[in-house]
Amino acid sequence: MADVVINSFSKKFGSNIVIDRLNLQINNGEFITLLGPSGCGKTTLLRMIAGLESIDGGELFIGGKYYNNLPAQKRHLAMVFQSYALFPHMSVRNNILFGLKIKNVNKAKMQYKLTWVLNLLYLKGLEDRLPREISGGQRQRVALARALVLDPDVLLLDEPLSNLDAALRETAIEELKRIHHQVGKTIIYVTHNQVEALTMSERIALINKGKVEQYDRPKAMYDDPKTLFVAEFIGSPPMNFLEGEIQIQEGFGGVNTSIGFLKLDKDRAAKLEAMSGRKVIAGIRPQNIYFSEHVIRRRHTDTSLDLIVEFVENMGDRSLVIGRTRNSIVMRFMVTRDENITSDQKMPVFIDGRCIHLFDTMSRLNIFNNDGSI
Amino acid sequence: MQGKNMPMATGKKIIWLTGVFLALLIVLGPVYMLVKYSVSDLSSINTGGEPIPLWPYHPTLRMYEFLFTDSQFYRVFMNSVIVSLFTVLLSLLLGVPAAYILGRYQIPGRKLLLLAIISVRMFPDIASVIPIVEFFIKLGLHQTYTGVVLAHTLLALPYVIFIGIGAFESIPHELEQQAWVMGAGKFQTFFKILFPLAIPGLAAAAIYTFLLSWDEFIFSYFLMFGRQEIFTLTLYLNGIKYAEPQNLLAAISVCLSVPVIVFSMMVQRYMVAGISTGSVK
Ligand SMILES: Nc1ncnc2c1ncn2[C@@H]1O[C@H](COP(=O)(O)OP(=O)(O)OP(=O)(O)O)[C@@H](O)[C@H]1O
Ligand SMILES: [Mg+2]
Repeated sequence: MADVVINSFSKKFGSNIVIDRLNLQINNGEFITLLGPSGCGKTTLLRMIAGLESIDGGELFIGGKYYNNLPAQKRHLAMVFQSYALFPHMSVRNNILFGLKIKNVNKAKMQYKLTWVLNLLYLKGLEDRLPREISGGQRQRVALARALVLDPDVLLLDEPLSNLDAALRETAIEELKRIHHQVGKTIIYVTHNQVEALTMSERIALINKGKVEQYDRPKAMYDDPKTLFVAEFIGSPPMNFLEGEIQIQEGFGGVNTSIGFLKLDKDRAAKLEAMSGRKVIAGIRPQNIYFSEHVIRRRHTDTSLDLIVEFVENMGDRSLVIGRTRNSIVMRFMVTRDENITSDQKMPVFIDGRCIHLFDTMSRLNIFNNDGSI
Repeated sequence: MQGKNMPMATGKKIIWLTGVFLALLIVLGPVYMLVKYSVSDLSSINTGGEPIPLWPYHPTLRMYEFLFTDSQFYRVFMNSVIVSLFTVLLSLLLGVPAAYILGRYQIPGRKLLLLAIISVRMFPDIASVIPIVEFFIKLGLHQTYTGVVLAHTLLALPYVIFIGIGAFESIPHELEQQAWVMGAGKFQTFFKILFPLAIPGLAAAAIYTFLLSWDEFIFSYFLMFGRQEIFTLTLYLNGIKYAEPQNLLAAISVCLSVPVIVFSMMVQRYMVAGISTGSVK
């Protein structure tokens, strides 16, 4: 069993608090992602788990054992550094076998493991090359292979795909998922690429300034952001944000904003009555604003809106439209690519009331799914 | 790296080759002269007004034969080899651990230590030789191989340490940490990761040390004075008279250079550039 429990972790560099009473629990065999902006402390957290950085405050338990004072050599973890850190003077084979040699594993078992991992990661035929003689993607796989043969309790991966091109990254993501499926290790994966995080992991811990903002399944992170920060960070293109005030108009609960009154779905609208007058920020994903002509059935909780198209950004299969309301508020929304849209065109759209996220202006917390805020 | 295999335009090639040729001429010209004189017979040197030939009329190895059958020269030559090799060995033995610590750890007083180490070389040899030799005499180390080797080590150590620090410092920390995470202790990490990666730098230091010891005169002179049988080449040369024939001097010079060249060539194999390439992106 290798569940990881992090209790109130703290880390300072000088007077700079990098990890701030951070809590995280990872189940045995779970694949989680640490996601967050550059400098939020992801690498530091990983290094604290690996034993490469001292734990200034808090506790670390792996498999129920207290790990705080265990040196890195004795933690039985494997880590893939952001930089791969392959030993440049050793062949691919010796890089992969390094950890096993240190552990005095017998020859037969080493050979077995080598063959297994070479097959698993499509590295056959590269055994005798030096790291400088293989490609970037191959290096990344060697780094991963080196970690996997150790049969670690926990696998720590620090942005292992960050330097790969998009295509290679896709393949690598597939491979990682497949490997996780096959070996069933506890994996802590660091990235600041949310697409990676959303596609790969069972749970995502979004970190901001050394704290966990939200720790949830990818779908929940996307559908139910618990804080404004999560709403801003998760999803691409980014949400539209509008300041407003909770009101009840003509029996509908909603939020009054600069682009008008936005109705919410029934269930949530009912809860709004108690909050009338509260200042909030409304967040609407570009994906939740629809081109009216294309929708036959409408709900009475949809809000209609007329936009003037400023310009259209081609995003491959879809296009992002940047439009303005009559009072010049910029709104972004998505359309299918074959839509023939030109600048200055007028577009009637509607906003799905079920997909409007409301955050308290002061606390920046989601007013619906944060305990005690209602 | 990639430029190595790129084809070159012909015009550019010619310019390059000319340059290389000229450089070779400048470097190898004196070597050629030395070798030529060392195998010359006297009639090719004292030509009586005729221009000196490009290659001797009757090339001969007589001077070498003479030198190596001369028991004094042979002993002196071997003394130099022994002193230089032991100096290299001792300098590395002492310098590498010091360089490792100073290059990889933030120990308190590091700057002061570095200053103290380099201070050995801040005085001209001629100024430091007297007190040091006096000290060695007190320890009974004068007129011994050990004394000379120790003195040369003293001179070489600052360079070995400084070159070594550079070599160890330039190794990415993550390589070391990766080894730790994989279960390697400090010693294993040193011998399997750090030391092999520092070898190119250390090889340069070794060559430098060999040369330094091979060439050293002042300390050798004061320490060995009065005991002929441990004399090294520099002291032997000091005793040579100007009247010696040119071909003998040339042969001695060749004998002086060959060990340095051989040692450098042996060690140079380890001075591969870019050993860390491909480790970290
Ligand atoms: N050794 C150190 N000394 C001082 N400050 C440090 C050190 N290591 C990291 N920091 C600081 O700690 C903060 C977190 O760094 P960390 O490397 O954990 O960020 P990160 O989330 O991994 O960022 P990125 O996504 O850019 O890799 C940063 O502000 C960084 O400047
Ligand atoms: Mg990082």
